[in-house]
Amino acid sequence: MIKRGLVLNPVLGKEFRSRMRTWKSPLVVSVYLGILALIAVGYYWTRQTSMVYSGFGPDVGPQMYVALAIFQLLLVSFVTPAFTAGVISGERERQTLDLLTCTRLSSASIVLNKLLASISYIVLLIVASLPVFGVVYFFGGVLLQEIGQAFVVYLMTALTFGAIGVFCSSIFRRTQVSVVVTYIIVFFFLVGTVALGVFLANMNMRAGDYSIPTITYLNPVVALCSTFPGQFQGGLPSLFGMFGIGGRYGRMSGSMADMEAGLAPWQYNFIGDGIIVVVLLIITIIIITPVGRFGGIKRLFRRKKTTETETDTVDIS
Amino acid sequence: MLVVEELTKRYGKLTAVDNLSFIVEEGSIFGFVGPNGAGKTTTMRILATLLAPNSGRAWIAGEEVTDNPRRVRQLMGYMPDFFGVYDDLKVGEYLDFYGASYGIPAAQRRRIADDLLELVDLAHKREAYVDSLSRGMKQRLCLARSLVHDPLLLLLDEPASGLDPRARFEMRELLKELQHMGKTIIISSHILPELAEMCTHVGIIEAGQLVANGTIDEITHLVQSGMALEIKVLERGQEARDILENHFGLTGIDGSENHFQVPFGGDEEDLSRILTALVGSGIPVVSFAESTNNLEDIFMQVTRGVVQ
Repeated sequence: MIKRGLVLNPVLGKEFRSRMRTWKSPLVVSVYLGILALIAVGYYWTRQTSMVYSGFGPDVGPQMYVALAIFQLLLVSFVTPAFTAGVISGERERQTLDLLTCTRLSSASIVLNKLLASISYIVLLIVASLPVFGVVYFFGGVLLQEIGQAFVVYLMTALTFGAIGVFCSSIFRRTQVSVVVTYIIVFFFLVGTVALGVFLANMNMRAGDYSIPTITYLNPVVALCSTFPGQFQGGLPSLFGMFGIGGRYGRMSGSMADMEAGLAPWQYNFIGDGIIVVVLLIITIIIITPVGRFGGIKRLFRRKKTTETETDTVDIS
Repeated sequence: MLVVEELTKRYGKLTAVDNLSFIVEEGSIFGFVGPNGAGKTTTMRILATLLAPNSGRAWIAGEEVTDNPRRVRQLMGYMPDFFGVYDDLKVGEYLDFYGASYGIPAAQRRRIADDLLELVDLAHKREAYVDSLSRGMKQRLCLARSLVHDPLLLLLDEPASGLDPRARFEMRELLKELQHMGKTIIISSHILPELAEMCTHVGIIEAGQLVANGTIDEITHLVQSGMALEIKVLERGQEARDILENHFGLTGIDGSENHFQVPFGGDEEDLSRILTALVGSGIPVVSFAESTNNLEDIFMQVTRGVVQ
């Protein structure tokens, strides 16, 4: 049993083999780390040459960490759709999805391992970035626990955007369309959730409700900010304060002080993303299952739709 | 081995497969023939558990295709009318991947891949990238893939399409070899003669319905019971036509004045009497023969009515 458990899933094995044998993989890792390293070196160089902050201050470490952490999140958000938005549509375009479905592999196994293979590569990028983050430790001011929480946000963000990519690649036949739609949704998560949150907060404020709208917690940047060292944690209320919402920070619930009793934004984000991932993966599995249990669910919906259409036709005539 | 019972598949208002029923016996090679758009691929995809029918059922070795897709997939090997290959894998890796997908232990996969590559004459290409193979080689590799889990039934959708004559010949020889190995094979094509040499049974499908079904001999006989007589005379064609109509009651004569065909359902004695009458009347007969239907004619004849 143990031996069987160690056997790599064929889809996962094939994806690893295909992905890692080309020159693109080391190139992407190199470029990715190069950009992060540039951020770290660039920040330090700017700081050293600055007229105001020259010298070695206690805030160098946390500030460099925040810059690196936010850039890493944006890079993960940018890279994930590229790796996932073509996994199912690509199989369709290569005309291999039917052949794969014809094997003993279940649709769930195909979808989950495709996602896992893509996410594994993103995890490789994140893990490879650890030495760059290690530079922060030369300066101090950042706890290992805070870095750990930030990495949980990265993983969950990669998983969520990955699931969105896989979902889009299952509903759109063409990879190009799937990639574009995935990037639009990712953009909504990064910008739209906050914009919508600000709009809703404004509406709620008029009714005397000063709480932060739930949708804002889906924003990965908001989640990441809540993992930052103490002096940077006021991210969410201060963000809303920028838009004149909530007035002083103290009036907004959702500040870190308020969170002490409940969950931190990154934890809310974790739960919200988890629900999104599970729902999207179930729908994706149903979509690519032709017959059998999930196929039956699909047919049930189709039949209902057909019956409704037929009823409409009768009514009209 | 395969029982198809009143299978129907509709795409919106189009009925691709219409109440289709047929049986394929174990060990036979069943040619599934029909013009483009007749419903061959749809039927194949339903049998391959890739498409759910609107109604009807089908059993492969006793397992219903919609109820037990996982068991059916183990019993059946499917080769679609496209290659479906991963260009970034080597030939050996490609077979190994599908072997693993069918749950074959790693220790056996290497041997199975070697045997199959030997069978399809691609053993020398084991380390070559799939991308580098010719069309015929890719087709043979796909056939090897469909055999990787040693299925009882092979569903081959237009396996010879786009192949040059040599590759077609090689594919034909391969299928014969597979039949000797005891596989039951369903092979679709829109070209009947292509299947004639290798099929034991033929089913002709048009507009989603089976218009003829049986052994090659049975179908030929079925069609020839309404065969034509082709007559060419040097002159006095009209006189010959009058004899056929008035003396033998043959109608529906078609063709030019001195070279015409007439539908004929009689036996050899009738043929002899007609020829004697024509020659006895002094008509200079140049040729007198039953029009020998080749398989293409049979196909045209069988499918014509439905198309019109």
